[in-house]
Amino acid sequence: MDMLVGNTLTRLIFFPTIAALGLVLLARASERTVKVYALVVALVEMFFGLSYAASVFSGGHFVNSSEGPFAWIPGVGIRYHLVADGIAMPLVILTVMLLPLVILGTWTGIEKRWRGYAASMLLLTTGMLGTFLAADVFLFYVFFEVSLVPMYLIIGIWGGERRIYAAVKFFLYTMVGSLLMLVALVYLGWSYAQLSGGTWSFALADLLRVSLPAGPQMWLFLAFALAFAIKVPMFPLHTWLPDAHVEAPTGGSVILAGVLLKMGTYGFLRFALPLFPQAAQEATPWLVALSVIGIVYGALVAWVQVDMKKLVAYSSVAHLGFVMLGLLAFDLVAWQGALLQMINHGLSTGALFFLVGMLYERRHTKKFAEFGGLAKVVPVFAFFLVFSALASVGLPALNGFVGEFLILVGSYKTLTWWAVVATFGVVLAAVYLLKMVAATIWGPLENDANKSLADLNWREITTLVPLCIAMLWIGVAPARFLEPSRPALEATLAAYQARASQPAPAVPTLLPAGSPVQENR
Amino acid sequence: MNATDLQSIAPELTLALAGCLLLLLEAFTPKIRESFTALSVAAGLFAGWQVLGLADGASFGGLIVANRWTAAGSLVTLVSMVLCFLASHAFLKREKIFGGEYHAMILWAASGALFLLRGQELLTIFVALELLSVALYALAAYNRKDSHGSEAAVKYFLMGAFASAFVLYGIALLYGSTGSTRLDVIAERFGSGQASPVIGVLGVLLLIAGFGFKMSLVPFHAWAPDTYQGAPSPFVAFLSVAPKAASVIVLIHVLRTVFPSALATDWSPIIATLAALSMIAGNLMALVQKDIKRMLAYSGIGHMGYVLIPLATLDAGSWQPVLVYLVAYALMNAGAFGLISMLYARSREQHLISELSGWGHRFPLLAACLTVCMLSLGGIPPTIGFLGKYLTFVHAVSHGQVWLALVGVGTSLLGVFYYLRVVYYLYMKDEVAEPTGLAIDFWGRTAAVAAALGILALGMFPARLLEWLLGQN
Repeated sequence: MDMLVGNTLTRLIFFPTIAALGLVLLARASERTVKVYALVVALVEMFFGLSYAASVFSGGHFVNSSEGPFAWIPGVGIRYHLVADGIAMPLVILTVMLLPLVILGTWTGIEKRWRGYAASMLLLTTGMLGTFLAADVFLFYVFFEVSLVPMYLIIGIWGGERRIYAAVKFFLYTMVGSLLMLVALVYLGWSYAQLSGGTWSFALADLLRVSLPAGPQMWLFLAFALAFAIKVPMFPLHTWLPDAHVEAPTGGSVILAGVLLKMGTYGFLRFALPLFPQAAQEATPWLVALSVIGIVYGALVAWVQVDMKKLVAYSSVAHLGFVMLGLLAFDLVAWQGALLQMINHGLSTGALFFLVGMLYERRHTKKFAEFGGLAKVVPVFAFFLVFSALASVGLPALNGFVGEFLILVGSYKTLTWWAVVATFGVVLAAVYLLKMVAATIWGPLENDANKSLADLNWREITTLVPLCIAMLWIGVAPARFLEPSRPALEATLAAYQARASQPAPAVPTLLPAGSPVQENR
Repeated sequence: MNATDLQSIAPELTLALAGCLLLLLEAFTPKIRESFTALSVAAGLFAGWQVLGLADGASFGGLIVANRWTAAGSLVTLVSMVLCFLASHAFLKREKIFGGEYHAMILWAASGALFLLRGQELLTIFVALELLSVALYALAAYNRKDSHGSEAAVKYFLMGAFASAFVLYGIALLYGSTGSTRLDVIAERFGSGQASPVIGVLGVLLLIAGFGFKMSLVPFHAWAPDTYQGAPSPFVAFLSVAPKAASVIVLIHVLRTVFPSALATDWSPIIATLAALSMIAGNLMALVQKDIKRMLAYSGIGHMGYVLIPLATLDAGSWQPVLVYLVAYALMNAGAFGLISMLYARSREQHLISELSGWGHRFPLLAACLTVCMLSLGGIPPTIGFLGKYLTFVHAVSHGQVWLALVGVGTSLLGVFYYLRVVYYLYMKDEVAEPTGLAIDFWGRTAAVAAALGILALGMFPARLLEWLLGQN
């Protein structure tokens, strides 16, 4: 019980689930009560998250802290083990900060079945936090899967016209990858059992010691990479994303873009790359090519969209391509940029999805053709749209610039020409996002339906202001946000490079414990 | 036979005597009929308690065995039986066919299933199989006003009779080649080379085919969809679990005796092929079903394929994945059929999935339970269904059968697709059917909640169950 009461990771992860069960007691409560309840829970969860972050923040860095391991499924070595470090904590903070904003931002946007919506959001939060904090690969897999069902429901119940198609596509795409990952995971655990004399383990620290021959290693890497590449999503596995984004309700889109996609990049950084270094090394050129294609392709497709939400969705493909490029550069600066860009994308794209949703609530359309000249009628909205778009474009002094700049600088060293091509992605981002801004808020105000639009109310402003503050803050004081994660990234990178520089062994080998690999978890 | 022997079959005796008692009550005090549900549930729970108290070891001179594995198999049977009784109450009342013979026959069938999975001698196994089967044939046609039920029962009976004949012929061949019907003696004779391997192989093949019928493995599956569709829905909760579970355990007993012996045939490819065929065909056919009972029948064929995976490389380590899978299957499949019996008005030929449209919002509790069952059937964590699949795949991978694990994974994906369709109709469509004439009562809700909680609790906290199963050697 202590783990649920104290300032612990377990409390952080499972408080939303317990709170979701509490919704059962509100069976006869009014919709307003449910909303207030959800908001209060979200704020408490945010407080838990921030207070935990504060407790592990010392000397300018996030220090590693762990809970467990406790035996969970005996016999096959599955343990309940959570670890918070400099890689996980930023994503955890992003998740708990987005939650209350999502509740607030969709206060009127969700018009039916608020109880179910709140419950789905809270269960989803448990899944997301668990994914980032699990230190047992099996536990990670469970949380990874658990987060699927609430998102399926959110898209399928509260989504747009083609919501069913989008929800099923989202679910099946993710399942395909993750089931193959499960088989690979079992194989890896079995290899460990073979090498360690029959003891099964799925602890990341143990599995990192397993060094497999090139053949099996490549298959396992491909299985992991497929699961994560679908989630990211990397070109050409991205086709579920535009559908899911366009059909999802605003809150779903914000969480999907803000956090769920990061499970993919996080999975690469934490699992796929460190577990199979030689295979990753070999596959890097291909993955880099796909990332850069994703950057350019996402940008070009975003450019030709006539629907605001689709444009933002395709911009996610491009932005996540940058994150992948940074990760595949295997360079500390690029990794710092990639981790920061994961957060940045959550903030700026989250804000853009909120804004599109707010406009949609007023006009029930997301087509550019319906808008134009909105700055005259809704100046506050226009301000936030310009601000978020510029952050997304990568304007200096805003967050997007820092992340993309670090990624490009870091990857220029090792992936020179690819970095050059990716730079065009930045230019293209400016083109399509400014096109969106121009088409909606500038120009003549011609459509009569827009002439009486109400500007943002205080609730909507409250939703957006924290995001904008964060964007500005990261933009002007990036070191404050980069430094806390540096040691964890350094350790992971050093461990990776130590192993990747060696050739793959001819037979499965167990690396000695206490190698640099051990440091990072 | 002595007192210890009688004690060793206490659960079976409880069930059989409870059946007799209910039949007498039905004859002499028909007015208290409505208490039969409670009585039979109590008998089931009491038998379960007795199962847990059984001393390990053989009795009746080695004809019957008791250990944790048979105990787990017995509990699987009893869980499906209790869920079946709970779900039956309102259904039988609505159909105006409430009678003691229904409960009595199910109790006897359960007694047969318990004997079957504990039998160590082929004639004991055969008699137990018949006790189980004959009761099931009659029960499939229990709703005598419903012609579909009679059709279902006849199909089931004809196919079942074939299966019994196969089993009997297999027994005869094994007896002919070894001179014994006791599994341990048969194993010994084969081991020492005293018996004719050719006839022995044929005998074992016939036994696999016969129990393959009962398990509805491909290619012996054809009866299952028609029978499930026509039989009373709550009864299918029992029909789709107990005979399958008992048959799997008998197969393990039979195969374990012949596997290590000098029989020339390597059994792995045969079992692996049956498993793969069942997984692929069952899931593919379930994909195109519009009727939820047929869908679950086909998916049940697929599930037996998963159960069979660890049997392809049989050792003592096969028990745990098989039994965890069976526990999962009992909760999720019996739970699902119990819910179907509540959520469909009137028994009739079709139970379209689309009729559930929008009921996630009208019946939040039952729909949530059905969703949990579907997620578990689909193998999505944190449910016991996922754990069962996972342990199965672990067994396959660690015994060099990665391809079987990959087939299992691929077909699981198909499963996710059609199980999610139920969730989709429940929550994402507008209502099409009138919510009238449904047989929902306290008993049924209890069954639904118990199944759903069991699925989640065992999925999240499986340690006790797994340790208990591992404790047996």
